[in-house]
Amino acid sequence: MHVTGLFDKEELKILKSLNFNFCLQCGKCTASCPVFLRTELNPRTLVRKTLYFVSQLKICPPLSISEISSVWACTTCSNCVIYCPRDVKPMDIILAFRTILIERGNVPSTISGALENIYKFGNPFGISSLKRAEWARDLSVKKASEESEVDLLYFVGCLTSYDNRARNIARSMVIILKNIGVNFSILAEDENCCGNEVYSLGERGLFEVVAEKNVKRFRQYKISKIITTCSHCFNTLKNRYKLENIEVQHSTQFLSDLIDKAEINFSKRIAKKIAFHDPCYLGKHNNIFEEPRKILENIPGVTLLELERSRKNSLCCGGGGGRTWYEVTGEISRPSEDRIKEAIDMGAEILAVACPFCLLELEDAVKRMGYENKLQVLDIVEVICRSLGGL
Amino acid sequence: MKEILVLAEHRLGKLRDVTFEVLTKGRKLAQENNARLTAVVIGYDIDPLGEELAYYADEVLIYDDYKVKEFHSEYFRQVLSHIILDRKPEVILIPHTSYGLELAPSLAIELNIPIITDVLEISFENGRFVVIREYFGGKLKAKVTLRESPRYIATVRVGVSKSEKNESKGQVTKMQNLDLMDIPYKRVIGLIKPPPEAVDISSAGIIVAVGRGIGDAKNLPLIEELSKAIGGVIACSRPVVDMKWLPKERLVGLSGKVVKPKLYLAIGISGQFYHVYGMMNSELIIAINKDPNAPIFGVADYGIVEDLFKVVPQLISKIYGKMYGEENK
Amino acid sequence: MDIIVCVKSVPITTGAELIPDKARKDVILDNIPFDINEWDEYALEEAIRLKERFGGNVTVISVSSRDIDEAILKCLAKGADRAIKIVDKLVAEYDAYTIAKILYTVIKSMKYDLILCGAQAGDDGYALVGVMLASLLRIPYVTFVKRLELINGSLRTVRELEEGFEEIVEVELPALLTVQTGINEPRYASIMAIRKARQKEIITLDLKSINFAESNFDGWIEIREFFTPERRKKCIMLQGDLNEITTKVVEILRQKGILR
Repeated sequence: MHVTGLFDKEELKILKSLNFNFCLQCGKCTASCPVFLRTELNPRTLVRKTLYFVSQLKICPPLSISEISSVWACTTCSNCVIYCPRDVKPMDIILAFRTILIERGNVPSTISGALENIYKFGNPFGISSLKRAEWARDLSVKKASEESEVDLLYFVGCLTSYDNRARNIARSMVIILKNIGVNFSILAEDENCCGNEVYSLGERGLFEVVAEKNVKRFRQYKISKIITTCSHCFNTLKNRYKLENIEVQHSTQFLSDLIDKAEINFSKRIAKKIAFHDPCYLGKHNNIFEEPRKILENIPGVTLLELERSRKNSLCCGGGGGRTWYEVTGEISRPSEDRIKEAIDMGAEILAVACPFCLLELEDAVKRMGYENKLQVLDIVEVICRSLGGL
Repeated sequence: MKEILVLAEHRLGKLRDVTFEVLTKGRKLAQENNARLTAVVIGYDIDPLGEELAYYADEVLIYDDYKVKEFHSEYFRQVLSHIILDRKPEVILIPHTSYGLELAPSLAIELNIPIITDVLEISFENGRFVVIREYFGGKLKAKVTLRESPRYIATVRVGVSKSEKNESKGQVTKMQNLDLMDIPYKRVIGLIKPPPEAVDISSAGIIVAVGRGIGDAKNLPLIEELSKAIGGVIACSRPVVDMKWLPKERLVGLSGKVVKPKLYLAIGISGQFYHVYGMMNSELIIAINKDPNAPIFGVADYGIVEDLFKVVPQLISKIYGKMYGEENK
Repeated sequence: MDIIVCVKSVPITTGAELIPDKARKDVILDNIPFDINEWDEYALEEAIRLKERFGGNVTVISVSSRDIDEAILKCLAKGADRAIKIVDKLVAEYDAYTIAKILYTVIKSMKYDLILCGAQAGDDGYALVGVMLASLLRIPYVTFVKRLELINGSLRTVRELEEGFEEIVEVELPALLTVQTGINEPRYASIMAIRKARQKEIITLDLKSINFAESNFDGWIEIREFFTPERRKKCIMLQGDLNEITTKVVEILRQKGILR
C-alpha cells in the first residue's frame, strides 16, 4: 500500500542486527513451516533475499513488496527456529519485517483493527473492558481489587474472557480451583491484553504499553504467583515480561503439581480415547510436554493417545502470530484441518488442548470438516472438570 | 408566526420523495403555529414540478432559470437568500440530503440564521424553537434548542415519515429572474448515474445483509452459504462497501438502495440511521449483533445478541436440517 | 501543496451503553475511549497522500473542551507535519457554530491551498462545521467527496448523492472539501510512531490566546437534555442457547412462509 521499495536507515539497522550470516539455504525452515504452500510465505527465500540488503551478496535478487507482505501469514510456531541447523531464527526475521511494516503504517486492515482495539479497549474484540469478567458473573469469583491479599492470580486472557466458547475454559478452571480449595483472585476489569499477539505482530510500542498496564496491576495488588489457562499469555508473562519475584505457571503445570501432591480427586470416569495437541506456545516455545500428559493419564478411564506429530514436532493449529485476525486470500486450507484429520485417523474421540487459540481453531476445523459427531475438542481443564463431577 | 418555507428537491426532472415528507412535516408545524406553508422549487423548465407541489403547500414559489438547471449550492443560495430576505419566513426547512447539506450551512452563515441538522421532530415551546434529534449513532436522543432568532433553518431527516397530499391546491407563483451572479470558482460538471448492475437487490424477496461485524471479506462465504440456504440475496451496510468487501450495488441505505423485502436479516450491522433508512420498511427484520445496545434492535422484529460466527453456522445447519425433513435436534 | 485538516476527537461508543449525566446536558463518558472521528481519519489520509504526491505541509487543527493529545499525536504519527490544538473548558462541545467560529479565528490568518474535513462527526452527525468554516473563510467548498484529483490547478471532485448517484464538481483553490468514508484506506499509526510524533510542532492555544471572548459570543445550538430513546418497535429478543435460538428462528421463518 504505502511501502515504497527500499529500506531506510532505521529499518536497515533492524535487519542488520539479526543473525542470518550462517544460513546454508538448506530449506529445513520452509519444509517445517505450517503455512508454506498454503500462503506466499517461504522462510528460506525470505532469508536469502534479505541478504541482498544486509550483506555484500548482490547475487541474490532483492525483495519485492508482495514478498515482504507474506510475513503476515506466519503463525509464530517457531518450527523454523527449531529445525534450523545454523541458529539463524527466520522467525525473528519475519517479526522484524512485521515491525518495519507496522512502523510504515502498512498493515492489513483486520490486523490494525485488532491492534487499535487492544489499545483502546484492552482486548482485540473492541468490547468494553467493563465486560471483561462477565464470564464470572454467577460464579462468585474474587477480584484482586476487593481483596486485601492475593495468594494466587488467575490471569484469564482476552480470548478466554470474551469468546463465548473459550469462556468455558475459565469457568472450568474456577470450578476446579474451588473444588480443590485453592484461594485465588482474578484482575477482572483491571486485566489488560497480555500482548503476546501484539509482540508477534511486531507492534513493539503497543506491547510495552499493555505490558506496563498489567505489571502496574501486579505491583498494585502485590501479586507473587500467576497461573493462566492460555499458552500465549503464559509464554509472554513468563518470558517477555521480566517479572521479578513473580512465579508464572501454566494451568497444566499448576494442576500437575497438585496431582503429584494428591490434592485432586478425580471422581468420575471419562472412558474416552484422548489425544493431546501440544500448543506451540506451551511445547515448542517453553518445552512443557509432560505435565498435560500426566494430568490426562491420571484421569480414570482415559486412554491417552499420542498423535503422530507431537511434542516438539507438533502440528501448529494455525491460530498464533495474529492469524486469528488475518486470512490469506486464496489460502486452500488452514493448518488446523491437517491436525483434525490426524486425530480422527488415530481414532481419538477427544482432542485435548491447553490453549484457547488452539481450542477455537481446531473446533472451527472440526465444524468446517463436518466431524462434530466424531471428534470433540476440549481444553484440558474442561476434561478435568468433567472428571470432578462438575459441568 | 407567519411563514414556513420548504425547499423542494428534485433530480432528473422529478421531485424526490424527500420533498413530500418534509412538506408534510412543515404542514404540521404550520398548522400548530397558524402559519402559511410555502414550497420553493428552483430549477429550469420546472412548471410541472410547481403544479405537483401545489398539493402540498399553501403557496409554491417557482424560480425558473437556465443558470440553475443543475443543483449548485452557490446559485441556489442566492435565490433562497433573496426569498428569505424578502418574505422573512420564521422557519426554513430543507431535506437532510447531500444537496441539502451542500447548501443549508452556508445559507445559515451568510444570513446569520441559526441552523440545526438531521432533525426528527420540530416544535415551538414557549416561543423557543425546539427539535429532537439523535446523537451517538442513535444510541441517544436529545431535545435541542437554537438561540433565539427571528428565523431558523433546519434540515429534516427523511425516510422516516409519510407524506400526505392536501385536498385543495395552493397558489403557484413564478418569481422574476434575479440576474444571478456568476460563480466561476465552482462548477457543476454533471451527474453520474449508477451503472447497470449484475444484481438488483431492491427486487429481492429475501435479503441477507452484513455489516462491519463480518470483520473481513474472508468471512463472506459463510454469509453466502446462509443466503443460499435461505434463498436470499446478499446486501450490506456502508463499512462493507468502504472496505471494498462487496460492490456498491449491494449497499442498502441512504447512499445506496431502499429495500422492502419479505425478510431482512441484518447480521453484524449496528443499525445507524443511514443504513436503517434503507431497510426499515421490510416486512420482517431479524437482527444478529454482539452489542445489546446496537440501534438495529430498535427497528428489528426479532433480535439475537450473540456472536454472528456462532449463530450463522448453526442457523445454516438448522435450515438444511429442516428442509431435509430432519427432526429437531 | 499546503493542507489543513480539521479533526475531532470523539468517544468510541460501540458496545457501550450511553447514559446522560445528572444535568442531562452531556453524557457519562468514563471508561469510554476516544479516537479521531472516523470521517476525519479519511480526510487526514487523503491529505497525507496528496502531500506524498505533490509535496507541501499538512497541519491538523482541533478544537475541544477535553484533552485531545492522543488524537493529535496520532495525526502527527500518520504524517501530519504540525498540529494546532485549541483546548478550553469553555468550548461548547455540541455547538457547531462555535466550533466553526473558533476554527475560523485561527485559520483566517494562515496560508493554505486546501482544507480537508470529514463530512460529519460520529458523535453528533451535524455535517455543519466544514461548510460553515468555508463560508466564514469565503472559499469554495464541496461536500461528501469520494474522489478527487488535481487537474490544471483546479480540484475535480466526485461527490456522493443518494441512490448510487454521483456528481462531478470542480473548484478553484484555495478550497475546502468535506470527505466521505471510503475515499481511501487510512494507514495504521504505531505506538512508537505516536511517541516520536511528540517531537513535531504542537501549538497549544486556548480561547483567551486567540482572542475568542466567550462572553460576547452567542452560540447557536444548545442541548436541553439528552435522553435514552424508546425502542420504536417492540423487538423480541430471542433467548436460550444457540440450539434454542436457531430453532426458534427457523420456526419463525416457517410460520411466515419464508421457509417451507
